[in-house]
Amino acid sequence: MLLTYYFWIKAVKSGSIMWSASCALAYFYMVSSWGGYVFLINLIPLHVLALMFTGHFSHRVYVAYSTVYILGTILSMQIPFVGFQPVQSSEHMLAFGTFGLCQLFSFIEYVKSKLTKTQFDTLFSFALVTVGFAAAGAGVVLWASGKIAPWTGRFYALLDPSYAKNHIPIIASVSEHQPTAWSSFFFDFELLVFMFPVGIYYCFKELTDANIFIIMYGMTSIYFAGVMVRLMLVLAPVMCVLSGIGISSVLTTYMRNLDVNQLKKSVTSTAQSSTRARRNDDSSSYPRKNEIAFGVVCMMTFFLMTYVFHCTWVTSEAYSSPSIVLSARSGDGSRYIFDDFREAYWWLRYNTDEDAKVMSWWDYGYQITAMANRTILVDNNTWNNTHISRVGQAMSSTEDKAYEIMRELDVDYVLVIFGGLIGYSSDDINKFLWMVRIGGSTEKGAHIKESDYFTPQGEFRVDKSGSPTLLNCLMYKLSYYRFGETYTEQDKPPGYDRTRSVEIGNKNFELEKLEEAYTTEHWLVRI
Amino acid sequence: MESFYQLPFNFVQCPNLKLKKPSWIRKPSNTTVLFGLLVSYFLVTAGVIYDIIVEPPSVGSTTDEYGHHKPVAFMPWRINGQYIMEGLAAAFMFTLGGLGFILLDQTNKPNMPRLNRVLMILCSFIFILVAYGATKIFIRIKMPSYLS
Repeated sequence: MLLTYYFWIKAVKSGSIMWSASCALAYFYMVSSWGGYVFLINLIPLHVLALMFTGHFSHRVYVAYSTVYILGTILSMQIPFVGFQPVQSSEHMLAFGTFGLCQLFSFIEYVKSKLTKTQFDTLFSFALVTVGFAAAGAGVVLWASGKIAPWTGRFYALLDPSYAKNHIPIIASVSEHQPTAWSSFFFDFELLVFMFPVGIYYCFKELTDANIFIIMYGMTSIYFAGVMVRLMLVLAPVMCVLSGIGISSVLTTYMRNLDVNQLKKSVTSTAQSSTRARRNDDSSSYPRKNEIAFGVVCMMTFFLMTYVFHCTWVTSEAYSSPSIVLSARSGDGSRYIFDDFREAYWWLRYNTDEDAKVMSWWDYGYQITAMANRTILVDNNTWNNTHISRVGQAMSSTEDKAYEIMRELDVDYVLVIFGGLIGYSSDDINKFLWMVRIGGSTEKGAHIKESDYFTPQGEFRVDKSGSPTLLNCLMYKLSYYRFGETYTEQDKPPGYDRTRSVEIGNKNFELEKLEEAYTTEHWLVRI
Repeated sequence: MESFYQLPFNFVQCPNLKLKKPSWIRKPSNTTVLFGLLVSYFLVTAGVIYDIIVEPPSVGSTTDEYGHHKPVAFMPWRINGQYIMEGLAAAFMFTLGGLGFILLDQTNKPNMPRLNRVLMILCSFIFILVAYGATKIFIRIKMPSYLS
């Protein structure tokens, strides 16, 4: 992405076809790796439009954009996943429209230079009427007949954040898709959140083509990062670039004001206790220029040093632990390791049939496929919403109904994650409401209503006052089987769930249709 | 070309209107756009989108041992969670810091009365230091294990 933008800026500045072609190649690399290429193919036309509005459109931009659009689109259509989307889907229409507008703009400039004023005016109004009508008519026909596909769900959710929450629970359930709170911004950026507006201000001071691009990139990415936490990684490079512009401009300005000889002389003169203080020429309007410049430089150095400390601390605490092996600090400060995930996957690998099928929630699909080497029903890349919904229905129904669904899907093993023994909070009971929502979102699961799983007061509880539907569903039974006799904490009754901090409501039940195959050491994974 | 152009006017008569682009529509100046961008930066970093989707309370509340409800300003321990007021307060600090630096740059203009310059420098230092310090305190309140 950054390579594409770099080449784009180079192409816009120089107007050469070589840089534009390199930009198209880098764009091809981006298309083949991530669906975020849609951001690129919309930002570059937006930049061209902004240049048109501010009067910066020149032949260089024309050459750059035409080359990039044509080569880039043809290359991107080589990827099977993209296929014919660049001419059919709404996400690519802006690029197409800007391409047409570029041609029209340049053609008008060319014709204007060749004709007299009256001739040009007549031709212009004629062309506007005919071509404009024809284009508008064609656009309306294509859109109404459905040939131009509307914005797909995951991109539409970026423009209208409440769409996913109301219509597509699967997109809304991913924790990375949640909107961003202020602490995520500060945690990831610290000093940069202060320097971002400064960088934008310095870009506005001198509006070149490249500066306009950076401003647009910055503002669009900060909006998208605010909509979805995961898109923080699109914001990160431009945050660094703009903060760098800001910091270096501040430092350049103030280093110019700094005159080290002046300071040295004032130090030696005070040592000799001279009463004559040396002043600058414009001391009348700018007192103590040196000292202030010195102060600013020191302050910036201090901020940059604390930034380094912050970054190393955050990386070591938050971004360095593998999520498959958990660790906790025991009372005396030593580290205790929970290796239950791998223990369960290895058990699956060596103690089940080669063609056994495992049903679990889609979060664990990739891990089971890779480590246990068994077939699973749904994983992180499953696009089939109905299939995931079927799994959700199985987890939310009673044991008999779930057994029918599992027979239909030909399932041999069911895997659930249970954190009640050790207090692990990302287990399946905490994710259960999402299973209910997704299960109830398709036709076959219409009988599953989220409100059935809450108490009459609207709380989600697993103790005696919990809703009977919840206390008898498959997920509850598989998680809490034999848990009713287990002691988890001193002076608490047996069956005390440490994650929810309550004693469970339905103990001492037997499983009729399933049997327990394996439970790991800390009861994290149950098969 | 003339006959083609004249074709619709055989059926339709053009109304006698005098339309002009209103004079108050002008290209906005740099400062206006910068101000607009700063406002949107404030709103986005305040987590306004988070507030709209997740609808957290304005301040949280906890009950102490006597049964009194005490307000909680910062949602503890969750990096991606906030109450509305804490988001707005933090975003105010971010923008204040940015404004401090912008003001610091403005102090280098050549022709400025001495009082203005001194006040501006003082203001910008206060803004920057207060914003930085306050934000550090906020994150320490929210996550007691920060930087330890």
